[in-house]
Amino acid sequence: MQTNQTTIRNYSRSMKITRGPMDIPFLVVTLLLLGIGVIMVLSASYASAYYDLNNETGGSATYYFTRQLIFAVMGVAVMYVCSRLPVSFYRRFSFFVLFIAIALLLAVLVIGTRVNGAKRWINLGFTTLQPSEIAKVAVILSFSVLICKYRNYMGTIKYGIMPFAIILAVIVGLLVLEPHLSASIIILLLGAIMLFAGGARMFWFLAGGIGIAGIFIVLINTMEYSSERITAWLHPFEDMSDTGYQIVQSLYAVGSGGLYGLGLGNSRQKYLYLPEEHNDFIFSIICEELGFIGALLILTLFALLIIRGYWIALHSRDRYSFLVCTGVTSLLAIQVILNVAVCTNLVPCTGISLPFFSYGGTALLVQMAEMGIILSISRDIPVVKTVKRKSGSTAKRSNKERSAEQ
Amino acid sequence: MAGKTRGNNPETPNSMMLRRTLILAIVCGIVAFSVLGLRLLKLQILDHDFYETAAVEGQLRDTTVTAERGTIYDTNMKILAMSASVYNVYISPVEIDKYDVDEKKGITHSFIADKLAEILDIKSADILEKMGKSKTWYQTLALKVEPEVSDAVRDFKTEYDLVGVRLEDTSKRYYPYSTLAAQVIGFVGNDDDGLAGIEAKYDDVLTGINGRKVRLANAVGTEMLLEDYEYYYDSKDGEGLVLTLDSTIQYYMEKHLEQAVLDYDVKNGAAAIAMDVDTGAILGMVSLGNFDLNDYQTVSSEVQQKIDAEQDEEAKAKLLFDAQQLQWRNKAISDTYEPGSTFKIITLAMALNEGVVSPEDSFYCGGSIDVTGRDDPVKCWKRQGHGSQTLTQALQHSCNVAFVKIGLQVGAKKFYEYCENFGFFKASEDGSEYLHGKTGIDLLGEGSSIWWPHDYFTNDLNKSSLAAASFGQTFNITPIQLITAVSACCNGGYLMEPYLIKSTLDSEGNAISTTEPKVVRQVVSEETSATVCGMLEQVVCDKKEGTGKNAYVAGYRIGGKTGTSEKVSKQVETGDDEYIVSFIGVAPMDDPKIAILTLLDNPSSSCGVLVGGGQMCAPTVGKMMADILPYMGYEPQYNDDDQKQIDRSVPDIAGMSLADAQAAVTKAGFTYRVIGTGGTVTDQLPAANSVIAANSQVIIYCDEKPSTSLETVPDLTGMSYSVARQQLGSIALFVRTSGAISDSGSLVVTNQSVKAGTQVEHGTVINVTIIDLANQGRF
Repeated sequence: MQTNQTTIRNYSRSMKITRGPMDIPFLVVTLLLLGIGVIMVLSASYASAYYDLNNETGGSATYYFTRQLIFAVMGVAVMYVCSRLPVSFYRRFSFFVLFIAIALLLAVLVIGTRVNGAKRWINLGFTTLQPSEIAKVAVILSFSVLICKYRNYMGTIKYGIMPFAIILAVIVGLLVLEPHLSASIIILLLGAIMLFAGGARMFWFLAGGIGIAGIFIVLINTMEYSSERITAWLHPFEDMSDTGYQIVQSLYAVGSGGLYGLGLGNSRQKYLYLPEEHNDFIFSIICEELGFIGALLILTLFALLIIRGYWIALHSRDRYSFLVCTGVTSLLAIQVILNVAVCTNLVPCTGISLPFFSYGGTALLVQMAEMGIILSISRDIPVVKTVKRKSGSTAKRSNKERSAEQ
Repeated sequence: MAGKTRGNNPETPNSMMLRRTLILAIVCGIVAFSVLGLRLLKLQILDHDFYETAAVEGQLRDTTVTAERGTIYDTNMKILAMSASVYNVYISPVEIDKYDVDEKKGITHSFIADKLAEILDIKSADILEKMGKSKTWYQTLALKVEPEVSDAVRDFKTEYDLVGVRLEDTSKRYYPYSTLAAQVIGFVGNDDDGLAGIEAKYDDVLTGINGRKVRLANAVGTEMLLEDYEYYYDSKDGEGLVLTLDSTIQYYMEKHLEQAVLDYDVKNGAAAIAMDVDTGAILGMVSLGNFDLNDYQTVSSEVQQKIDAEQDEEAKAKLLFDAQQLQWRNKAISDTYEPGSTFKIITLAMALNEGVVSPEDSFYCGGSIDVTGRDDPVKCWKRQGHGSQTLTQALQHSCNVAFVKIGLQVGAKKFYEYCENFGFFKASEDGSEYLHGKTGIDLLGEGSSIWWPHDYFTNDLNKSSLAAASFGQTFNITPIQLITAVSACCNGGYLMEPYLIKSTLDSEGNAISTTEPKVVRQVVSEETSATVCGMLEQVVCDKKEGTGKNAYVAGYRIGGKTGTSEKVSKQVETGDDEYIVSFIGVAPMDDPKIAILTLLDNPSSSCGVLVGGGQMCAPTVGKMMADILPYMGYEPQYNDDDQKQIDRSVPDIAGMSLADAQAAVTKAGFTYRVIGTGGTVTDQLPAANSVIAANSQVIIYCDEKPSTSLETVPDLTGMSYSVARQQLGSIALFVRTSGAISDSGSLVVTNQSVKAGTQVEHGTVINVTIIDLANQGRF
């Protein structure tokens, strides 16, 4: 612990000399989404908090909102701290995070709280923690380190595939034991994107894609639970009272929003019709209340954030920063896209939360920490600083020139 | 420059990595979001209407405000059918699991099930099974329970604060008179939809229009917090129906018809119709056996025993189905039969109207008559023949031979035309075929007559059809057709359309519409009608010649005609002689108001009375008339003969001197015998003001007490009336009778109100039924 603290101090000292300000557009969009997200939790959750069918809130309509607000404030603090920490700090502790994540994934199998037959949560007393959230960060950090380390051997199986495959196998294996299908999918996708960005050969994506598709086809055909979801996805209106209920209620919410929506706070589907309305399906309530215009606005904010994240990655100082930033941005993109796709029934129903919006304390803290990491990376971009002082066109040209050189 | 340092630095990403990240940025940042945007466009803009409608449909709670079903009244506004609020009991397994089950307080599934089973009188296991469907919100336990039961459920629910045990408002149909006019009134199913009788025929009118209350609600059915959204659609209660049927008349008809069914051991049921002769309004309509409208599925106990004895489930079900169909069938309008001699009224009316006969014409009957086209002659019911007789006598005798002659005199073409005009059938335009004939009465299930085609009937070379038709054989009509036609013969010649609905009422009881009697056509002239009436009265009031004499009621002018027809098809089928016996009575004959047709299907010959309308149905109609005419407000007008015979009241002679007492008793129309030697009357039998038969012997006690010992009632049935009276008198018991009495020795007791062998006190008055068995026959 002591060594850690001194290390931080050392980095902080060196940082003062070389580092610039954090990326303002990225920060603004993040805070904007966080703010809208907290308000939407209030709107979406107060009916279920009021009726309190799960005996959780004691009938307080603002129960979920208050907790989410506290976590949002804490999240901003966490983000700030993470943005102050130098990138080398993350690099140093990348594998430490991986070991923590694996330890937690093992622990959850033993001490986890069982909800609906799956052990995914560790009860911390004041809140609950999903180890899979940590695991996602761990994959990003550890993959980044490995890709940097084996940068000259990424074409080989031994260094370019095997270490990554082993990490993924361990983590996904533990997730399957919970079981936690959606986190497994996200982590596999995330790992693939990391390798893609890290320069692995395209052949492996083809092979891996086919292999994973094959496994999924087998899984879907053997597990009743999964095939039910597929049926509900393809034919949601055929069994509206049971398997198709949730998705149909979601479609009702989305569709009945229309162009302008029913107005903030005026959702009807949140009145116990749509399950998980302040978690996984909060976007459906957004569509119902804020309409096509509001939903599109929020999607645009997400798209801007993601594009800005990739922009920061492309301009980052070193390969590690580039990989971490690409990974975090991609993770954000995967979660947003899959969540909205589920709400609009583009893909089968899986439990994926919407970053900044879905109710859930630790997930929000982790997401804010991830944003902090990107902001920290953004502070190391030397080009931006110089360009901003001088002229933007030079920077662009120099970028192009650089690409052409290579 | 930065670019240079990055390019040379192995710590910076190479160009492939940057290129790939650019691809990621495009795919994840632009392409994917464009797809999501287009998806939102499709759902929120293009398919908006569909999803909005569907969502609102799910969010709205539609509460039905049930319109009350209209009440059915008899003509005097007595309620025959009414709806009352009751409750369905159901459970919501989801809510029972969620809110109600509390192991600590001992509220378990089986506790709730046991309690409810006890209250509702159903099996606890069945309730538990329904409770086990734990994902459902609605499981019905009992439909339309009585108020005591729903109160008990409510108390149980309140006591243990049960959310998942629910009561649901609904309505139940009650029939206060239970069996009265069951086939006419009909009944409703569980959904309050009319299934039979008036309930079915006028289902639309009675039902009304349900109202709705629509509001927004959350998924568990309570109010939403913010929205205030409620719409009401008013309900419109069903209209009330006032029938022409008079429950008192109906009661008398059922009472006497049921007695006839018992007395004559009738195998195939019985029917009776009472019609207002002038309007065609139905005053009463009976079909036996009866059933309780409040429990319409239940069959008579004898039939149920038969079903229980059956082993095969399918056969059981079939027996039950058949028995139910039979008891629900309105024999008076649905069954067709050969009317037999009652149809002679129609033949007579058309012959008189055509002027081919007159009351003074003479008809000779030698027992049979040859008819063109028939191999064997048509036989009269009286094989030795009636000899020479006037037209009136021919009707009184119900002489087949005379009526064949009359029919032939009318001629086939005219006969056919009259029958169509009387409403027995309806010929097609070109006359080549008959179409099914119905009266058009406002009830479901009216049967259709069976007649000959025109050309067949009017064949000059074969008059057998005409001959048989003249005395009512070989064609089939419904009872309602016959009574409608006979009413036309008696009301001045107007064929009326029979009807049951007098008026309809709105929910406040104001008349919405009133039925006007509908004249279909005038068939015969007023004079003809008057002549027919006069002759019909002779059939009943002539105690020597009249075949309808058993329908006579002292003090009233009743006309009528008997009918006995063999069921030819049955005879061919089984070889058994089965008869339908009938009588149609009309009264009062100076201005006919009511006609009553009674028919018994297959009475037993073992009952001691010869199977025939004159012996069986005429007394039945007589008894009905004896009750109904005074009820309708007709005072009896006794002629001299009646005066001697009617029942009369015993004077109060206690405390009188013996001489005064003797004078008083004699004056009252009784004989007497004196017991004891005192000069003052100390007691009498029967008690003062008892009504007993004329010429009974009153017992006067002077300084004596009547014996207090009990007397055994003897079996009087089959005994001649005068013998019965004397025999009872000798043991200080008395008779009274409301039947036709004459001095003829052929009066026989067929029924007694106190069973033989019963121990009774001295002075008890026993009602006896008597009929005149002189000149019995199948007429």
